[in-house]
Amino acid sequence: MKKLLLFLIAICVIAPFSGDAQNSTNTRRVQRPKATGTAQRRVAPAKRTAATPQSAAKRQLNNALRLAQGGQFENAANALFSLSRRPELSAQRAQIKYVLGNMLVGMKLYQTAAFQFVDVIRMKHPKYSRLAIEKLSIVADSLGDDTILNYAISRVVVSEFPANLRDMLNFRLGEIFLRKNDFAQASELFSRVGPNSSYYFQALYNKGLAELEANQTTLAVGTFQTMLEGRRRAPVTDTNKVAAQVGLARALYQKKDWEGSIEAYAQVPRDTLMWHDAIFEQSWAMLRAARFRSALSNFQTLHSAYYEDFYMPESLLLRAIVYLYICKYDEMEKVLGLFEKTYGPVRSKIGSFLKATHNGTAYYDEIEKAQLIKTTDKSANLHLPYIVLRNVLEQGNVKRSMQYLKKLNQEKQKVEASMTLRSSPLGRYALKILANRVKNTKLSVGEMVKAHLLNMRVELRDLYEQAGFIRYEMINGRKESIKQEIAGKDIDAQIDDKVDRKFYIQNGYEYYPFQGEYWLDEVGNYHYLGKQSCE
Amino acid sequence: MLSKSLRAIMVFLTAVVSQTAVAAEIVELPTEELAQESVLPIFDRPVSVKNRNIVTEGKVEADVFYAYSMTEPIANVSKFGVSIYYNTNEDNAWGFRFAKNFSGLSTYAEQLNQQFNLDFKRAPAPEMSGMVDYNVKAFYGKMSLSKSLVFNTMLFGSVAGGVIKYVHKTYPAVAFGIGQKFYFDKNWALRFDLRLYANEAPVPFLKNALRVPPSPSPDPVPEHNRFQDRLTLTTNLEFGLSYLF
Repeated sequence: MKKLLLFLIAICVIAPFSGDAQNSTNTRRVQRPKATGTAQRRVAPAKRTAATPQSAAKRQLNNALRLAQGGQFENAANALFSLSRRPELSAQRAQIKYVLGNMLVGMKLYQTAAFQFVDVIRMKHPKYSRLAIEKLSIVADSLGDDTILNYAISRVVVSEFPANLRDMLNFRLGEIFLRKNDFAQASELFSRVGPNSSYYFQALYNKGLAELEANQTTLAVGTFQTMLEGRRRAPVTDTNKVAAQVGLARALYQKKDWEGSIEAYAQVPRDTLMWHDAIFEQSWAMLRAARFRSALSNFQTLHSAYYEDFYMPESLLLRAIVYLYICKYDEMEKVLGLFEKTYGPVRSKIGSFLKATHNGTAYYDEIEKAQLIKTTDKSANLHLPYIVLRNVLEQGNVKRSMQYLKKLNQEKQKVEASMTLRSSPLGRYALKILANRVKNTKLSVGEMVKAHLLNMRVELRDLYEQAGFIRYEMINGRKESIKQEIAGKDIDAQIDDKVDRKFYIQNGYEYYPFQGEYWLDEVGNYHYLGKQSCE
Repeated sequence: MLSKSLRAIMVFLTAVVSQTAVAAEIVELPTEELAQESVLPIFDRPVSVKNRNIVTEGKVEADVFYAYSMTEPIANVSKFGVSIYYNTNEDNAWGFRFAKNFSGLSTYAEQLNQQFNLDFKRAPAPEMSGMVDYNVKAFYGKMSLSKSLVFNTMLFGSVAGGVIKYVHKTYPAVAFGIGQKFYFDKNWALRFDLRLYANEAPVPFLKNALRVPPSPSPDPVPEHNRFQDRLTLTTNLEFGLSYLF
């Protein structure tokens, strides 16, 4: 189907081009009878010798176009590539490159195709530059590279853009405005994406985000509910459905509807990646709703051995705060100790790495090794703690760029897999482009990693400061307890100390007291049954 | 250590035998916090258990056990044994087992003597066995017997090869089995095995060889080599106490 579509596109593109060629031939034919007289006869041979290479080039061009029409993308692309460098076809270069781009799209060599379209755009051809912008937007969309996408989108005239592709354009423009913190404009652009578009749910999600950023919580709740309603029939773990659920929970939290938020977070399915964020964020909502026991139940999960690779310094401080609320000073001490023991070395390693490393490639190398560890059973020597790099890998821009790199590598493999293509000038050109893009993207990822590490360093510094305050509160609380003890008040008489805490287990549930080991099927099912130590 | 472990065994037995009802405060957990799903969270490298209580890798484990031979008709059905294993990792263990058979006859053989004056003490009986045993630890798990009592369990398969010594001769033997360990702390475990032994063994039923007075025509005491050998399958049920060093 895709091939057919490309074939039709190629025909549409080639048809006017062939027409132009035909017209010029006709013009020559009309002119010939006019050429009479000696002087003109003397000029005629010179004209013929000048016309020969041009007509040969045109013949080759027609052949290439016939190949394109016949769906022989590789042969056509090779021919068009060599013709695009011929000086006698400079007038047709925009058209040739445009058709070449389409042929490369047909061969799924999107990055190489993107370069052809960029060349055409730069030529400022009245007809083909506009068409090339459209094509570049599509190619950039499938590559997922922000640089090309921004380049293409910034040159688009929305009114001239084909109606069927306008949803994509609005979505990408919305993303650009969202990044620029112009939330109203972003929201407006996301609203324009139609419900039949494949971008619809992503646009709805981003619209909700933009509304939350603009503190329009009620609107955001409505948006996420619309998204949820739209995905009502989708499977439980459908990415858009789960994203909508998390979005709704976040919107309710921002709206200070703690109970609503807790309930919404509880609806996030456990067998999805977003569940980990949901359970942490739910703990915040529980703290705000003064459901301390419930928050501590979540922390048992979040601080289990399954999360030893997760970067969550905030969750430890949050746990300490909850213990402060229920006057569990010994537990607080342990948690603060754990925070310092875990994140102290992390902080110093980030600091020393940032100080010693100035080369973007070194940052990329670290993240590449971390990805290797994450996705395979292989190990690698890291200069930074794995939890830090894993966290950086999860960041949106890094994730997108790594995905883009993967696509570049796939394209490279595709070129290298074909002996004829690899040894052709077009193949060599494509490999050169790809090598250059890979190199630049790696540098760009390196810069992103550096920026994230700088942010983490700042964040850890702030959290350490907060840990200091929490410790102060803990000491203060202990001091007050001792004062009460000296004053003769029964401080050990915890409010429910004399109550038998034995309990029944609801029918249909099994109960295992926690004895230090963590089981995968128990993660998320822990319940704190301790007591509050103060009123 | 031992008294603590004995106390744990007592607790274990008490828990098995009786379930005590205690009047207690009901801690009500919000329904939405109770498990609603039977699916597992997604991790990069999911493993069933982390931070396990019973770590066997690189450790030596010693057992004492009692074995009851369920299909032995004539010889004494009981034997005591010791074994020692080295756990190469969390999935495999290699060990050596030695078992000493009780002397005497089975209750059934005693009855035959009383009723028909047939003395099976004349037939050769097994004395002891020694085997190299390989264990594959298939499942590590846990079970809760009460709200405060949890046991770690380990189900394992066993393949052993060695010898069984009879009074007159030693025979090669193999054994296959399945077992379960119940760890009631990080070192001590109760062990239950079911094993099928296969070996050449003398058939104790020999014509004109077993009758003794007051039988009207007692038989002379036969030579042990008069008893014919044949492949014998014996099912053993074993109970043991195991210590993980």
